[in-house]
Amino acid sequence: MMTDTAARRVNIIQGEYKVIDDPNVVLTTILGSCVAACLRDPVAGVGGMNHFLLPGSASAMSAGGDATRYGVHLMELLINGLLKKGARRDRLEAKIFGGAKTIATFSNVGDQNAAFAMQFLRDEGISVVGSSTGGEYGRKLEYWPVSGRARQYPLTGAETQKTVALEQRPAPAPRPVESSIEFF
Amino acid sequence: MSIAEKIKVLIVDDQVTSRLLLSDALVQLGFKQITSAGDGEQGMKIMAEQPHHLVISDFNMPKMDGIGFLQAVRANPNTKKAAFIILTAQGDRALVQKAAQLGANNVLAKPFTIEKMKAAIEAVFGALK
Repeated sequence: MMTDTAARRVNIIQGEYKVIDDPNVVLTTILGSCVAACLRDPVAGVGGMNHFLLPGSASAMSAGGDATRYGVHLMELLINGLLKKGARRDRLEAKIFGGAKTIATFSNVGDQNAAFAMQFLRDEGISVVGSSTGGEYGRKLEYWPVSGRARQYPLTGAETQKTVALEQRPAPAPRPVESSIEFF
Repeated sequence: MSIAEKIKVLIVDDQVTSRLLLSDALVQLGFKQITSAGDGEQGMKIMAEQPHHLVISDFNMPKMDGIGFLQAVRANPNTKKAAFIILTAQGDRALVQKAAQLGANNVLAKPFTIEKMKAAIEAVFGALK
């Protein structure tokens, strides 16, 4: 049986996503109001995680707003990455974590982020096999992308405040096409 | 009738959410005739039956991707004049060059803003309103 000490830990920060087909890798992240979507194809043996916080107000979160497009983009990057590694869209299963309600956020950004992820998965026909969202405290999350096993630890109040404060810094804008070009 | 209302648009993307967002953006820009498809094969079927003036297609799709679809559209005498905009979540220079060589009118990075989409369409059709 695989032991935790043997696992290679790969940390994910806000705005990132990773796709992994190595059963010895565990993906980790720390979530305040942010949400992590963990997706995998159990047949292809590949899985991955993203970590996002949609900027904002209710109007920006509304259908068709820029925030929605940003969230859809991060979900699409993860799904495209999985498909490239042999996953099939109709076999994908998801677990959703995060979206804590915290005093530091004026509007209920956490709830909106979790609701966005759930709505996205429903619209795309991807089944949600587990979730833990909301609550007053942040989470430290571990996800084994090949087996689909997930484990979370609650953050303390102070850790949650610190995490949320970090999350509120403006996220780097998604890279436009041109900036990813390398010249040799 | 505005120019936007006269243009028949075909949206091709394998993600339902992306299709909805794009269609929503097009409605905001004044478009009324919008059809959508889930991949290039389905898109080509629709184009062959009823050519559209403007195709906005994702790049990364199962079956036939955006580049394959672009080639198919350009190879068919009935559809080859359609304006073709490719959307991509993971753009790189090779894709942009290939798309340009094959006759794409524009390549837009996701997530796009409505303003960028408007500019890309207006570059082909002129002012929409």
